Amino acid sequence: MLSGSKNSFKIQQHEPGPALRGPKSSAMNSRRNKNCQAFPCIPGEHVLEAAAHVRKIVRSRDGKGSILGTLYCTNLRVAFVPEPTPGDAVGAPRCSTRLHSEHDVALLCIRRLVAVNSFTKAKVLTASSTLKFIPEELILYCRDFRVLRFRFHDSGLEPRACQVTLAIVQAQGSSSVSAGMWYDTGAIRNLENAWLSTEESSSSSTLLFERPCDWEKELRRLGAAGWRVSPVNERFDMATSLPKYLWVPSRLLDNELKRAFGHFNARRIPRLCWHHPGGSDLLRAAGFHADSDPEKEDVRSVEALMLAGHAQCVIVETAVDLPSPAEIQLSYLKLRALCLPDSSVADEKWLSALEGTRWLEHVRACVRKACEVAVLLAERSRSIMLQESDDRDLNCLLASLIQVLSDPHTRTQSGFQSLLQKEWVVAGHPFLQRLNLLRDNDREESPVFLLFLDCVWQLLQQFPASFEFTETYLLALHDSSYIPFFSTFLFNCQWERDRRNQHRASNQIYAPVNGWREPPPLEILQKGGRLVKEKGGPYLPTIWDWALRYTTQQRSQFRNPAYARSRGSTTVPNGKSAPLGGDKLEAALSGSGTMYLFAKGALSPQTHLFPWKNGSLSKKGWWRAQSSESLSEQDRSLRSSPSGCPLQPEGLLLPASVGPLIRLWRRCYLRGSQEVQRGLFASTLGELAEELDLLRGRLTGEGTC
Amino acid sequence: MASSSPKYNSNSLESSSIKRIPKDGTKWEQNEEIPRLPGETSITDKEVIYVCPFNGAVKGRLYVTNYRLYLRSVELDPVVILDVPLGVIARIEKMGGASSRGENSYGLDITCKDMRNLRFALKQEGHSRRDIFEILTKYAFPQSHNLPFFAFVNEEKFAENGWMVYNPMPEYRRQGLPNEQWRVTFINEHYGLCDTYPSLLVVPYNATDDDLKKVSAFRSRNRIPVLSWIHPENQAVVMRSSQPLVGMSGKRNKDDERYLDIIRDANGQISKLTIYDARPSVNAVANKATGGGYEGDDAYPNAELFFLDIHNIHVMRESLKKLKDIVYPNVEESHWLSSLESTHWLEHIKLVLTGAIQVADKVSSGKSSVLVHCSDGWDRTAQLTSLAMLMLDSYYRTIVGFEVLVQKEWISFGHKFASRIGHGDKNHADADRSPIFLQFIDCVWQMSKQFPTAFEFNEQFLITILDHLYSCRFGTFLYNCESVREKEKVTERTLSLWSLINSEKAKHTNPFYTKELNRALYPVASMRHLELWVNYYIRWNPRIRQQQPNPVEQRYMELLALRDDYMRRLEELQITNNSKISNSSASSASPSQMMSHVQTHF
Repeated sequence: MLSGSKNSFKIQQHEPGPALRGPKSSAMNSRRNKNCQAFPCIPGEHVLEAAAHVRKIVRSRDGKGSILGTLYCTNLRVAFVPEPTPGDAVGAPRCSTRLHSEHDVALLCIRRLVAVNSFTKAKVLTASSTLKFIPEELILYCRDFRVLRFRFHDSGLEPRACQVTLAIVQAQGSSSVSAGMWYDTGAIRNLENAWLSTEESSSSSTLLFERPCDWEKELRRLGAAGWRVSPVNERFDMATSLPKYLWVPSRLLDNELKRAFGHFNARRIPRLCWHHPGGSDLLRAAGFHADSDPEKEDVRSVEALMLAGHAQCVIVETAVDLPSPAEIQLSYLKLRALCLPDSSVADEKWLSALEGTRWLEHVRACVRKACEVAVLLAERSRSIMLQESDDRDLNCLLASLIQVLSDPHTRTQSGFQSLLQKEWVVAGHPFLQRLNLLRDNDREESPVFLLFLDCVWQLLQQFPASFEFTETYLLALHDSSYIPFFSTFLFNCQWERDRRNQHRASNQIYAPVNGWREPPPLEILQKGGRLVKEKGGPYLPTIWDWALRYTTQQRSQFRNPAYARSRGSTTVPNGKSAPLGGDKLEAALSGSGTMYLFAKGALSPQTHLFPWKNGSLSKKGWWRAQSSESLSEQDRSLRSSPSGCPLQPEGLLLPASVGPLIRLWRRCYLRGSQEVQRGLFASTLGELAEELDLLRGRLTGEGTC
Repeated sequence: MASSSPKYNSNSLESSSIKRIPKDGTKWEQNEEIPRLPGETSITDKEVIYVCPFNGAVKGRLYVTNYRLYLRSVELDPVVILDVPLGVIARIEKMGGASSRGENSYGLDITCKDMRNLRFALKQEGHSRRDIFEILTKYAFPQSHNLPFFAFVNEEKFAENGWMVYNPMPEYRRQGLPNEQWRVTFINEHYGLCDTYPSLLVVPYNATDDDLKKVSAFRSRNRIPVLSWIHPENQAVVMRSSQPLVGMSGKRNKDDERYLDIIRDANGQISKLTIYDARPSVNAVANKATGGGYEGDDAYPNAELFFLDIHNIHVMRESLKKLKDIVYPNVEESHWLSSLESTHWLEHIKLVLTGAIQVADKVSSGKSSVLVHCSDGWDRTAQLTSLAMLMLDSYYRTIVGFEVLVQKEWISFGHKFASRIGHGDKNHADADRSPIFLQFIDCVWQMSKQFPTAFEFNEQFLITILDHLYSCRFGTFLYNCESVREKEKVTERTLSLWSLINSEKAKHTNPFYTKELNRALYPVASMRHLELWVNYYIRWNPRIRQQQPNPVEQRYMELLALRDDYMRRLEELQITNNSKISNSSASSASPSQMMSHVQTHF
């Protein structure tokens, strides 16, 4: 395998793998290279290899350029630390302690490594590949659409180039090999400890929905009088994938409630997501369980759950019209291939190739469906139940998107984060499988969450003044989903998340309270440890601790200076809801039935309360036949209704979903391409906002003197 | 309806033509005067049914004046209003016959130049449409009926005189011309050298008027290479001309060859002169058959020739037609992106932009002078030189600067507006018509989209220009060239569009504009970054239009007002505080001092 070339290195020669080496060897490495000491490791992290005088290639529309600095490979990430330029103030705080900066990438986020030498073809490197030349350039293709390029020192013969390249290849390889044992590596354990100290900095206004008080608080905000917080699943003994606490109708006792679980897949019963101030309720549930027997008496509690005190219940079959997780994944892979800078698609064929990925079609379908349901909710007081077979993928997407359209509070940063906690994180979206952060199983991978972020971005485009956060924030959220150091995306459900963290708690040895560095004195340790146990908080931080990864300056770009807080209340839309539907739709609804099925934009009455027995849910033909007609009626009534306004008095957003208005999120997907697009907002708007703050401050100062 | 699912308007402040009247609006009179410009006279009115493709049939009264077609619905809630200058009408057809069956099948079908069609149904009894058809035809196509354009009877008054915006001499002086290498010549004062060029030209100092005459014999329609723009630092120039008359036999002209060499030499660079032929090379070769051609290697050893592959006016016309098909009245739903691709509209935009980028880059980074031509040098050449100048010179990115650019590179250098637009001409199928200027404005829009702070004007400015490209309310875009305009005394007898725009500048100003000098802007001309100009091409569809006014712009204006308010209050407070504690030594910075710390953007 070793060719005659003297420049040939075989990667296996570097066994044992760097990740398996102890801190000792990393210390040795550090001594070997002075620069390593300058690198701000987080606890548990150690530098495996480093190369100085590396140029990071940055391309912008103003031309090609590069930054000189040092490239590090640690057991967690590849990091680049630029050399301070003479212009920098001495001792200026470096942001390099942050896990995520534009120069860093977690090993698990690297999708492909390519070494380039001007004499040979570009070579894709894997853990088993040999490097038969000295790379001049190293290209890192990241899972988050970034492409990082590093150019080694011009001499080209610098052995460091080889060493650091091999180290990265090796570390990246072993990071995925050891993925299954990820939690047990020393690195992650130490990492957890380190996070503790910063926990206080987490934005306290985000409701995590881990404790009953969050559920109570949110229920009060919604003003949902007929509902209560049930602790029936507090020990996860009703359903492991459901949250500990559920919103259920007040008049339904826990005893009755328990009977309903068996009727739904994975025991995921209908429960409240959101309460419209006009009286409607939005519910979500899994599909009816195949063995559920409608003749059984306890079906009454199912009925009570679904109707939730309303005369009507509309069942929305979530999966209809929306892509399946597998389709989303397929589409996403195509999109990523297309957006790579070296995509072979000719520019003239770009539009049809983009259409061919079907990504925008999926985005459109989600936006449209959410819009339809949001209108149904606003129309009249009824209960609307989103039903998806397992209630863990598109139900998360649809339920949260409907709330973003309907509730201005969810368009603030804290409201949005709370929404994600409620409908995704504790609701049991299988983040670990879907995002495949540990790269251990490709089969279940599907970026349902990223599709949701794209939908929200579309809304931001269409309603640029309705959101407190910006495209930059959504981008940060997008990137966060590829960082495997946070509890938010590292588990499939709350039960798993809790269990892992409980386990850690019992093994807790120390808990540093002031910073990343060293173990604090013993008393503090004990105190801190106890404190931790009492609080029972998460040991891995949530991604909402933005301060951990983003500087104040970066975070200031999360705020949308154009955000116009909706008139009136900022919490919930006010009570009056104009009837949106036309008379004909109303007429169709005033029939005798209480159950309706909503699909393809049309409502059809259900004769049986439990359609899963007579199979009507699977018989798709019959409602399709009539759907087109009622559809156009609804369409017309919506158009002629006086409520054509996008920003309704009560804050309802009705986005357009026609082709030309569903756009590609260029700043996200085309980041790797060479032409860099500048930000969404003219910088002047942000600057003006700052200037105003300054003036306002001076004004109060003058006023009081 | 082709679109098959409920769609809710993104903006839905109803279509601009639909206004809601309060229910108690009994004061609204049916016979209320329709809006009229000074000089505008009513011709006729009639009961019709407006067959709106979006909201269905609307009963109303149609008014025709010598300037516009105006419809107001009979129903008041919502009241539907159509206000269309007759100039935008491309074609009027009768639909259905006296015996046609079906609802609203008898009437008029009007094709407009601005991406829409209007359909009016009339009563079938008594040839009711004959009069209205004839009147509309007469006033929509005044040139075909020996009537003057409305611009010549318009009696509007404006605070600004738009004809003063452009004067070639000050503009050349702004560029630092004439200088040692370049001189101003009046050889074309009476359009004797070239009847489609302006009277004032800038040419190399070392070429005599006699040389110019000889060169003109070898250039199509005598459109010799003349200067459009000179780089303030490296002195490289952008020249424009028509194709050389090489022909099948490969004719050569010593004077032309020497003239180009003088141009190359003028900025003191040893590099070759770069010639950009806007056409695809096959077209350039094909042009030899009709006496045209391009500069060959052997005849012009000191020049490098590049073809920019931009297609001709016929291709562009067909492309826009296809675009209209997929956006009006209904937006193609199922395969929007591939349908858009098949119109090739964005691809043409891309090629024009790419060409202009090359020209600009050659001049700015390559420090080499360039000559741009196509066949006659009044379509693609105008697009390329004006876009390159827009990229190179920040002056043209201001409102007045852009007006100067249009006035200079398009109007004075003889872009054939009359032929391309067909002002007042009934011959809708004229092969000379082509949306070349629209394409240029689209390119400008693409640039403004990519550089949101670089342009003083906003989207509304560009749309206003396009609306009046067709309206014939102003003399600005009338006629093919300066010589005809002079004969028709356009500047004396009509108003300039810039009078309107400059009188209400606030409406056309981009609040985010940040003045930047001497930065060359290179937009990304890749399909991945170009977008369809939805707010123009699909603006008639009430479900597509974006929120207007743009909420971000609006918010910015509010903040600006707030700042002014704060500044004022701060000043007041300081005055009172200072008088209160005049003895105290505590000195506080005045707002003006304050401003030196705070970034201002204006």
